[in-house]
Amino acid sequence: MTILETRGLTYSYPDGNVALKDINIKIDKGKKIAFVGQNGSGKSTLFMLLNGTMKPGEGEVLFHDVPFKYNSKSLREIRKSVGIVFQNSDDQLFAPTVYQDVAFGPANLDYPKEKLETCVNRALEQVGLTNFKDRPPHHLSGGQKKRVAIAGVMAMEPEVLILDEPLSNLDPVGADEIMDLLNEFNHYGSTIIISTHDVDLAYRWSDYVYLMSDSELIGEGAPEVLFRQTELLKLAGLRSPSSLEVYHELERRGLAKGYLSPKTLPELVNALRPPELMWVDAPHGVKEDDTLNLGILYGEYSPNSPYEAINARVLHIHPDGKAIVELKRRSIKAGGILLYDTDSYSYPEILNIIEEGDVTFVGAMGKKSKILAEEDGIFLDVTSGVIDRSILTALCGKRCLILTGGGMVEHAFKRIREYVELSGIELNVGTFNTGEELPWLEVLEESAEGFRV
Amino acid sequence: MTNILDDYALMSPLRYRNNWLKLTIVAFGLLAGVSAYSPIPPFFIALCMSFATVFLGKTPFRFYLKLLLAPLGFAAVGVLIIAFFSGTGAELYSFRLASYPLTVRADGLELAMLVLARSISGMCCLYFLALTTPMIELFSVLKKSGLPGSVVELSMLIYRYIFVFLDMAVQIKFAQTVRLGYGNFKKSFRSFGMLGSTLFIRSWDQGEKLFVSMNSRCYDGKMTMFETRRPVKLPELLLTSAYFLSTLTLFYLTRGVSII
Repeated sequence: MTILETRGLTYSYPDGNVALKDINIKIDKGKKIAFVGQNGSGKSTLFMLLNGTMKPGEGEVLFHDVPFKYNSKSLREIRKSVGIVFQNSDDQLFAPTVYQDVAFGPANLDYPKEKLETCVNRALEQVGLTNFKDRPPHHLSGGQKKRVAIAGVMAMEPEVLILDEPLSNLDPVGADEIMDLLNEFNHYGSTIIISTHDVDLAYRWSDYVYLMSDSELIGEGAPEVLFRQTELLKLAGLRSPSSLEVYHELERRGLAKGYLSPKTLPELVNALRPPELMWVDAPHGVKEDDTLNLGILYGEYSPNSPYEAINARVLHIHPDGKAIVELKRRSIKAGGILLYDTDSYSYPEILNIIEEGDVTFVGAMGKKSKILAEEDGIFLDVTSGVIDRSILTALCGKRCLILTGGGMVEHAFKRIREYVELSGIELNVGTFNTGEELPWLEVLEESAEGFRV
Repeated sequence: MTNILDDYALMSPLRYRNNWLKLTIVAFGLLAGVSAYSPIPPFFIALCMSFATVFLGKTPFRFYLKLLLAPLGFAAVGVLIIAFFSGTGAELYSFRLASYPLTVRADGLELAMLVLARSISGMCCLYFLALTTPMIELFSVLKKSGLPGSVVELSMLIYRYIFVFLDMAVQIKFAQTVRLGYGNFKKSFRSFGMLGSTLFIRSWDQGEKLFVSMNSRCYDGKMTMFETRRPVKLPELLLTSAYFLSTLTLFYLTRGVSII
C-alpha cells in the first residue's frame, strides 16, 4: 500500500538554484527506506517537501493517494502523520526541558491532558530517557539529544518517520542505539525514511533505496540489486558497501558461493565455502585412500570451531611427506538461542537460566531491556546487532540468551528462523516467559525442548 | 557539567519542592532582613538560609563560601567607611593616620554592623533562590504571576538558545585563538568583532531553522506550559513556619537592643 508518493516534483530556491528535478517516488507502508546521495544532492529539500514544510514549484505530493492541499487544516494533518527529525538536534530542541520539548507536538494537537501525558511518557520510555525528563537539553549528550528529538516526533504518533542524516555526529554506540530504536518503531508498523551518505548503513538496513545525485533521482531498487550497479554508484559519487566488496573479493577467489548479496555478518559467513582440501603432514605409513582422523581443529586453524572431529581421506601423498586430504566434517551440536521476554521479568530467574542453561553469551535488545539489565548488573556481551551476533555465536556451538520485550521477541524469532531456513543449519531456539505460545514454536518444539530450563 | 549557578540549581534536591514556598521564604527573608533594627535577626536569617542552601540544597560548601566572598568584599569596604566616618556617640577606638584622626564611635559601629547584617542576609536569601531554583522551574511561576504569555514563551526560547550560542561562541573563540586571533590588543579587537557579527548572523539563521522545526510539529502560535504539581508537604510547612516564627520572635525581642 502506497503511503507517500510524489509526481513530477520540482523545486527551486528563491535565488533560482534548482534543488529538485522531476522526482517520482512511491513509498510503501511499513518499509524502511533510505535516500542515498552526496551532500547537497537534494535529500533534505525533498524531506521538507514530503512534510509540507515547503511547497513544490511543480508537481505534487500525495499522502494515502490524496494530494497535499497547502491549507492550514490539511497541513496540520500531514505534519501529524509525517514526522520529521532534523539533522542538527539543536535546531529541533527548543523547550527548556526534555519533557516540555517532547510535549510540544502533542500539545499543539490539542490532546486532552491525560492523553498528552501518556503519549509523552510512552515516547520517553521508548527512547529510554524517562529519568531525564526534567533536564534542560544542554545537559544531554549528542546521542541523547537525538533521542529526545525522535521522541518529540514519535509522541505525535506519526505513520511515517523521516530522519535527515540520523547518525551524523554520533559515536558508534549512540548510532547503534538510534538504529535499534528505528528498527523497533518499524517493527511496530511505522514507515521509516532516512537520508544518509553511508552506503553500508543503507545497504544493511533498508528495504528499498533511492539514489540521488545533483537534484535528481538516478536510481532506485532493493539494496541487493541497486548496490551491485557500480557504474551507478560512481555516478552518484559513492562507493560499494564494504561487506559487498569483501564478498566480491572472496567470490572472485572461489572462497565464497556466487550470486549472493550478503548484508549481515551471518549471511556473509554463510556464503563462505569451507575448504575441502588441505595440506597436512602425513604420518609414517599412511597410504593414499586411507582415512586420517585429525581430531578437533584447534588453535590457529579455527579458534571457535563448530566441528567436533574431522576425518580426512588421503588423496595424494607428496614425496616430501606432505599429503593432500579431503575433509569430512561432523558437526557437533550447534548452540542455541533463548529469547527471554522482559515484559515480565525476574532477576533470580535469569541468573538461574544463565547458570543452569550454561549460557555464555547474553545480549539485550530494546532500550527497556537494556536498562533493566543495567539496573540489575547483568553483564551484557552485546547490545547492538544482537540477533546477528547471537546467530554467529550459536553457530560456534555456544548458548546465547537474548533479553527483549514486547513484540520484539516475535521479531527476533522470525529473524532467526529465516536464517535457519536460508542456511539449512539447525539451531536450537526457544522462548521463555512469553505469555502466549508463538505460532511457529511447534515447528521447532523438539529442538527447543532441550534448551528449556 | 557545572559551570554556572543554574547548573547547581538543576542538581539540587530542593529543586523539586514547591516553587511558591521557596519564593515566599526568600521574600520573607528579604523583607524581614531589611526592616530589622538590630543586626541579630538578619544574621539569624543569613545563618538559616545558608544552612538550607548547603545542607538541604546540597550545594558544595566551598563553592558557596566562594560565592559569598565576592559580594562580601564590597560590603566590607562600605562597612569600614561607615564605621569610621559616621556616628556621634562614645569613642571606642581611634588612631592617627598621617596626623588625621580616625575614630570609631559606638553608634557608627552599630550602624555598620546593621548594614553588614542586612546585606549578608539579602545575599544569602537570593543565593538560596538561585542555587535551589533553576530557571526552568521559574517559567511557570512567571506565567502564573500574570506576565504576558508571549514574554514567557520568548524567555523560554531565549533560555534554551543562550546555551546553544554560548557553545558556539566558545567554539568560535577557540578557533580564533588557535589561529592567533588574540595575539595582541588590536588583533583581539578585530577577532572579537568578528565573533560578535558571526554570532549575530548565526542567531538569525537559527531563528529561521527554529521556525521551520516548530512548524513541522504543528506550531500554531502558542506554546503550552506544563507546571508540575508539587504540593507543599507537612514537614516543609512545619519547618518553614518554625523558621518564620523564630525570626519574628527574634525581630520583636531585639527591637531597640544595641549590641555594643
